[in-house]
Amino acid sequence: MRIAAPVLASVLTLIVGSIFFASLGHDPLPTLYAFFVEPLSSMNGLSEWLLKASPLILIACGLAIGFRANVWNIGAEGQFIMGAVAASGVGLFWSDPDSALLLPLMFLAGMAAGMAWAAIPAFLRSRMNTNEILVTLMMTYIATLFLSYLVHGPWRDPAGFNYPQTALLPAAAMFQSFDPAYRLNSSIFITVVAVFLMWLFTDRSFLGYKMSVSGAAPLAARYAGFRESAAVWIGLLAGGAAAGIAGMAEAAGPLGQLSPQVSPGYGFAAIIVAFIGRLNAFGIVLGGLLMSLLFLGGEGVQMTLALPSALTRIFQGILLFFLLAADFFIFYRIRLVRPAPDAHALETAR
Amino acid sequence: MNELTRRGFLKYSGALGAALATGGLSTIARADDVLKIGVVYVSPIAEIGWTKQHSLGVEAIKSEFGDKAKLTVIDNIFMPQDAERVFRELASAGNQLIFGTSFSHGTPMQKVAPRFPKIAFEHCSGIVHLANLGTFEAKYYEGTFVAGAAGGYMSKSGKIGFIGGFPIPDIVGPANALLLGAQSVNPNATCNAIFLNSWFDPGKEKEAAKTLLSQGCDVICSMTDTATGVQVAGEGGAWSIGYASDMSKFSSGKQLTSFVLDWTSDYVGAAKAVAAGTWKPEVRWDGLAAGVVKMAPYNDGIPADVKAKLKQLEADIGSGKVHPYAGELKDQDGNVKVAAGSVLSDDGIRGMNWFVKGMIGKLS
Amino acid sequence: MHPRLELRNISKRYPGVVANDDVSLSIQPGEIHAVLGENGAGKSTLMKIIYGAAHADSGEIYCDGNLILAHNPAMSRALGIEMVYQHFALFESVSVVENIALSASSAFNLPSLAEKIRELSLRYGMPIDPHRQVHDLSVGERQRVEIVRCLLQAPKLLILDEPTSVLTPQAVVKLFDTLRQLAAEGCSIVYISHKLDEVQELCDTATVLRNGKVTGTARPKETTSLELARMMVGSKLPEMHVSPAAPSEKPVLEVRDLSAKARDHFGVDLKDVSFNVHGGEIVGLAGVSGNGQAELIALLSGERRHGQGDAIKINGTPAASLRPDERRKLGLAFVPEERLGRGAVPSHTLWENAVLTAHRFGTVRKGLVDRRRAAAFASGIIDRFKVKANGPAATAQSLSGGNLQKYIVGREIALAPKLLLVSQPTWGVDVGASAFIRQTIVDLSRAGTAVFVVSEELDELFEICDRLLVICQGRVSPPLLRTSTDREEIGLLMTGRTMGKDQTGSSSVALQD
Repeated sequence: MRIAAPVLASVLTLIVGSIFFASLGHDPLPTLYAFFVEPLSSMNGLSEWLLKASPLILIACGLAIGFRANVWNIGAEGQFIMGAVAASGVGLFWSDPDSALLLPLMFLAGMAAGMAWAAIPAFLRSRMNTNEILVTLMMTYIATLFLSYLVHGPWRDPAGFNYPQTALLPAAAMFQSFDPAYRLNSSIFITVVAVFLMWLFTDRSFLGYKMSVSGAAPLAARYAGFRESAAVWIGLLAGGAAAGIAGMAEAAGPLGQLSPQVSPGYGFAAIIVAFIGRLNAFGIVLGGLLMSLLFLGGEGVQMTLALPSALTRIFQGILLFFLLAADFFIFYRIRLVRPAPDAHALETAR
Repeated sequence: MNELTRRGFLKYSGALGAALATGGLSTIARADDVLKIGVVYVSPIAEIGWTKQHSLGVEAIKSEFGDKAKLTVIDNIFMPQDAERVFRELASAGNQLIFGTSFSHGTPMQKVAPRFPKIAFEHCSGIVHLANLGTFEAKYYEGTFVAGAAGGYMSKSGKIGFIGGFPIPDIVGPANALLLGAQSVNPNATCNAIFLNSWFDPGKEKEAAKTLLSQGCDVICSMTDTATGVQVAGEGGAWSIGYASDMSKFSSGKQLTSFVLDWTSDYVGAAKAVAAGTWKPEVRWDGLAAGVVKMAPYNDGIPADVKAKLKQLEADIGSGKVHPYAGELKDQDGNVKVAAGSVLSDDGIRGMNWFVKGMIGKLS
Repeated sequence: MHPRLELRNISKRYPGVVANDDVSLSIQPGEIHAVLGENGAGKSTLMKIIYGAAHADSGEIYCDGNLILAHNPAMSRALGIEMVYQHFALFESVSVVENIALSASSAFNLPSLAEKIRELSLRYGMPIDPHRQVHDLSVGERQRVEIVRCLLQAPKLLILDEPTSVLTPQAVVKLFDTLRQLAAEGCSIVYISHKLDEVQELCDTATVLRNGKVTGTARPKETTSLELARMMVGSKLPEMHVSPAAPSEKPVLEVRDLSAKARDHFGVDLKDVSFNVHGGEIVGLAGVSGNGQAELIALLSGERRHGQGDAIKINGTPAASLRPDERRKLGLAFVPEERLGRGAVPSHTLWENAVLTAHRFGTVRKGLVDRRRAAAFASGIIDRFKVKANGPAATAQSLSGGNLQKYIVGREIALAPKLLLVSQPTWGVDVGASAFIRQTIVDLSRAGTAVFVVSEELDELFEICDRLLVICQGRVSPPLLRTSTDREEIGLLMTGRTMGKDQTGSSSVALQD
């Protein structure tokens, strides 16, 4: 069932999508082809695919650790921004712009900033029992405005006609591309490591086990003496660290400078990715790749078939809707139908 | 049929082969006569506004070239990360001329252009020029100066209201010129300015417009991507000044004028130059004289003699007889920024991050 | 005259359980008829069958002398059978009249419906303003809404499922007045309860169920509580082997002057609780549900902490302010009354649930869960305690209540505790498994462990405990030796009557919940 659900969702999407495109006068097959295959049919396309999927997967891994414990960090966008800000600050103002240490320092700065930004809601939740959903979201707005202040004010590029953006980061502050012709850079390895760590943490570690108990049955966690505040702290800090690193990688990768807009909504899209991936490391990788492909495919059909962007967005919505809906119904099956077959199995086993 | 063979080809040649094939297209495409042009919009095309005016430029190329041009348009690309990918894709797809239409497209275009030295890039509202990256921009301040003069004539309170998207020089400068225009006919005129920190936020813009009305402003100019400011002003019985498109139909008949942007010459000019092989990166910065900025028909409520004066002002700015930023100009604190007898330099205009005396509000 | 409702030989089985076995009963018009029984005795299933929400495997239902062939809730309503559920199904955000309109089967007109509600509720002495929002109503008022909703249908038979479990004593008095008035007007009432005093006060006849079977019918007003209780609980339990206790010299658990405020307004404040439990003995805590047991057990287990550390000592160490895992290091193990969601994570497998408390026993190494060892640990429990499960990979929620209870008891005993707390050890567990669990607990204590058992089943406590405590209104009685006390004394203590200061205590005597 766990595998059948996404397959079913995909088939439904293809059917509904075909009807949708056909009804608007677009031949469905070439449209779907342009949406899902063509973006991946060139090296550049593959590079862009991974480049966009990488931050989504990275952030979703961090968020899922919290989500598994019912810690709802929906402010990854803000943590992402703070990570980008802190890392860029180091990159722009470090005394030696050619230092080989620059990139590692930026990594640490980005991670620390993301964690610090997530630590505020963690503190408020564990000490004052505030709702972390609201606080993390509010913190996102603060981060956005803080970034805006920096690029309009003290960090503005002195040579940039007063436009709100910083100077470009020095070369030593940028991740190396694998090939100068493509944008994919070595930060993808961070995501690979993060996925492994996420798997290790959630699937194998005792800490991850405690978090999953907190999420699935808070009373059982209290019964066993697992600290709720530990789950809150770990959940939020993991998300903050991942988002902060992703922000750093974005600044030191595709962006190369700060402007008032550093995130194309990665912090929010990663929430969807985490849920498409069922909060599981492997699923998140697939979810991130799918999400990224949806973006690229949306542009692809605009380019090759001149479909308006509104249509592509509707199609993206249909796919996400089916995927999440399929999950929802599966979730219900597990709860309602399972006990019966198990009981029967017991009967026959006797 | 084309699709089928292409698909079949891809199936057998694999991703790498496809990449080579598409990479090779750019040179092949030059051999035929069809000019391939890519355009990236920052938002979807609406009834009015920034992207609508760019789409008119694109339409002009279509009617000028007919079958001889193939246009690929991607809309709703704002973030630099996404823009870089799209520019790259458009370049790899064999477009010979590529337009970016937003300031946020600048950095990505600077990164992509050097990789495709044979392709012409044109960036609207850009500030950086490269061997194959040209820029074009409008002198908004000429439009706002004339519109401000109209406001100065028509305002009873002498208070002009201004709503801007972001406090960047491209908006701050025109806001200053709006007030300077008003002061040219009413030296006591002031201007309240509010920035939304968004190009498109009708909710906030409505609040801003209401605030300005309550502050006593009876002429409101809104430099955003919506007609909300014009609409709220009209509903509140105040005069309004439109931007980018003629917004009179939203204004309850109260639009004094609008400084309309017409990029046709930029689009068609660049396309013709590329087709003829004579394209060179230029820094084009035009206003009333070249028709890139046009004043929409003046409101019938403006007396005929005033209309005549405004028309004369348009002509004088076009001819250079009147310069909106002619000295003496003081900033909000009374410091002289431009001495009497001189005018603000072009760099000074493009980097204007200060308010002239009489502006009420802060630049954060 | 035909009975209003007659059940003949109703049987219903679920996989592994016989819920109703050859049940027959008959209810006359205007009669208030109690259905008495322990949890799991089959009362709820029987009510669902009467209401048509479940179908009997065999047997017949007659209403006013007519055989009902295809039964369902719609049919019930057509026959004038209405049911007030234990858990109300009201929409919080709309008014009373809108709530009732939502469930109306026929066309209605809101103002006239509101007028009807006002009129009916006044007539039956339970006034409700039809325009109030439901979220403003107290629990008792919500119940009135449910009852009025039924009354609007002019029912001939009204079923109430444990209606007083959520009510204050004053509200109970009012409810009984209403029910008597209804009965006097000819409406039959089926009153499901396990509270003997209420049944004796209100009902004309009682049918007692045990393990799905009718064990007797009685006129409660003419029958003693003890007789009714015996019918409910029975006395044919397997023989237990309980050797004499050899208590350790020093107490393992010491509770001194423990007082605590209730955490919510449903709870009870604990007042100056003091007692000891020695190694090798079993101390039981008797009492009517909701007299502070939940608070006490949470304070003992560490799920709730107390500022005054030495109010609770485990093996001489002040423990009241320690977390549960810290107390477990001192040798504590604990079987909570809720198995799913507290004692075990429902969606987790049995081996994962072993790690919940057995993580110090080799199932976690270097911060990583050792799946193989956890599975071996779980298999050990499954074998030793004869848990019926599909191996260690079965989810906790796939087990029956009794099997999961055996698994949790087994897990806690496998931790080799010095002190075992057990709350409601055999709730909803079948007779055989109950006896096994009790025997296991006795054996553990005889091996030297101190055991503290909280139960609402007096039989159980008398069977296994060496000393008994009684809790009432948050106060705990001095200990009584099992051998020198009897049910009567305990029962009186449970009502608070002999505890001097506390004359206001609840008078309800419940043997079991």
